[in-house]
Amino acid sequence: MNHQDVVAQLIELVTPIAEGRVAVITENTGITSELGLDSLRVMDLVVAVEDQFDISVPINALAEVRTVGDFASLIQKSAGENA
Amino acid sequence: MKENSRLKAVRAVREELAAVGIDPFGVQIDRIVSPTEGIIDGRPTILAGTNNYLGMTFDPDCIASAREALESAGTGTTGSRMANGSYASHRELELDLARFYGKRDAIVFSTGYQANLGMISALAGPGDTVMIDADSHASIYDGCTLAGANTIRFRHNDADDLAKRMRRLGDGAADALIIVEGVYSMLGDRAPLRDFVRVKQEFGATLLVDEAHSMGVLGKKGQGLAEEDGVLADIDYVVGTFSKSLGNTGGFCVGDSADMDVLRYASRPYVFTASLAPATIAATRTALRKLEAATDLRLRLQANAERLHAGLSALGFRLGAPANAVVAVLVGEKLEALRFWDHLLKNGVYVNLMVPPATPGNESLLRCSVSAAHTPEQIDAICAAFGSWPGVKA
Repeated sequence: MNHQDVVAQLIELVTPIAEGRVAVITENTGITSELGLDSLRVMDLVVAVEDQFDISVPINALAEVRTVGDFASLIQKSAGENA
Repeated sequence: MKENSRLKAVRAVREELAAVGIDPFGVQIDRIVSPTEGIIDGRPTILAGTNNYLGMTFDPDCIASAREALESAGTGTTGSRMANGSYASHRELELDLARFYGKRDAIVFSTGYQANLGMISALAGPGDTVMIDADSHASIYDGCTLAGANTIRFRHNDADDLAKRMRRLGDGAADALIIVEGVYSMLGDRAPLRDFVRVKQEFGATLLVDEAHSMGVLGKKGQGLAEEDGVLADIDYVVGTFSKSLGNTGGFCVGDSADMDVLRYASRPYVFTASLAPATIAATRTALRKLEAATDLRLRLQANAERLHAGLSALGFRLGAPANAVVAVLVGEKLEALRFWDHLLKNGVYVNLMVPPATPGNESLLRCSVSAAHTPEQIDAICAAFGSWPGVKA
């Protein structure tokens, strides 16, 4: 799966959790800085991502995630390790 | 001095509480009267938020042991066991714990929090995988952070979800460390421990169980959920605390590993902290002896838990789990929970207010911990205080 496909699916997952805080979510949108997701909502997003992509996301790796694009890269990395 | 921006979120919560005029996280018990009574704001108050499950804090034998040790061995050890030496009683307590659990050896830590930090960070490191229940206590999350290991959460109490994630690890599954708790401190719900043992065995992994809220409470001998479920021999490491059923301060781990003595030296939270004071060790040894024989206290505790659970259910409250030493009332919205908590305190009942993110399901809780030392009249008074709340019940 290429990066843009993952980004598109991730935007679909994050949109209901973000509850309309940002009108247009892109690869460069900040997950906590712009969407304002607190730690609980980030965990909701992780669970949704894990179900969607059938992967396990290590929570320690989330420290490096700032944007939707960063998270998409982590998903690709996790999917590679799980494959 | 410049304002620390990292404290912004915590500061905001403190200011929110100050605006309401209620501070549930700064309660001062002006005078402690008994395991179940204190004076707060000048009012006699029933303590129903202390985790003093067996009421051991005022046990005369424990107090006598502590007093004798205080007189004979002084107030403190003034250093870590590795750098400054152990007292004989530290090792004696470890041998007591190993015998109590029927395990090869034990390590005593200075708190239960440090026991989890110490064990997890000694057993796992960068590149290793730790599988933890999503509702794990902060000490387990912090232990994983200290370890620097890949930390994967599985759905709360869901052995199938754990197995699915273990399968994804492939050959690495056998090296994974799985961590669950016997009883979860927020809702008081129990782990399906036999299911987790089956997963551990299927993949040949290592299983650590934190019995902080089940030691002394469950099992014929009070060893916890592992004893009650008949799987104690299948669990690699049991972590526990002295600060609940044993009525003191400290933590421990017991296990059958031949490396138990190596683990303590690989554990920074063991090495770089002061050891427990002689009076603490002495009282804990006495409490452990009494806990093992305290079938009557466990029966009384269960009867009290059932009385409280039934009373609150009859009032229409939503509760977190079947009757257990932890009875959690689900309140929902944070501000409502805060006012409810304050109402209880002003009516002479102290419980714990728990709010997200510390709680599961994004819900606020009024958490009661039941003690064997509560009288039926006190349990009824707790129910009456809950029943006098004029707001929404569920």
